[in-house]
Amino acid sequence: MIYTIASIRLGIIGDPYVPADGINVAALLSGGFIVEQSTPKPKKPAKTSTEPNEEI
Amino acid sequence: MATSTYLSNATVQINGVDVTDQVSAASIVRVIEALESTSFGKTARVYVGGLENSTLTLTMYNSFAASETYATLAALVGTSTTVTIKPTSAATSATNPISTLTGCYLETLPIVNAALGALDTIDITFTGGVYSVATS
Repeated sequence: MIYTIASIRLGIIGDPYVPADGINVAALLSGGFIVEQSTPKPKKPAKTSTEPNEEI
Repeated sequence: MATSTYLSNATVQINGVDVTDQVSAASIVRVIEALESTSFGKTARVYVGGLENSTLTLTMYNSFAASETYATLAALVGTSTTVTIKPTSAATSATNPISTLTGCYLETLPIVNAALGALDTIDITFTGGVYSVATS
């Protein structure tokens, strides 16, 4: 999971956050100190104009 | 000559969050539980070291604003976390060591401690965990 800093109390806002050992990530998320960075979904393949078994 | 360190500019982090401007007092006490090992033939009690059970007590100004005291602590009650404290905000060194309690437990959190005409302050105590100190 990738996190981004959302509070200056934790660091520079917008920087990636890598939790150290012993850090309660759930509490940071709950308090709004970090946010989960959404990962881009892979693009769907383009639709083919013809069915695979369709006669041309 | 004996000297004292006054925590006038100490820095405190709870769960990685800098709460220095919300803390007015801090006390970290390292405790190694004493296990009695006195046996017959002894004329005085004898102890050996048991489990470590250090504590860090903080007095904090309560605030429910975003990224302040309540937001930092609310989700930590009943869980373990890491807290650090340093005598001054200067760089970590032999004369400004940083103390860390890793895996310490927050059992209680006062929600409101209201008094007429006074700031809302709370005392919290982190218990247990592994104590370490770094000078660099």
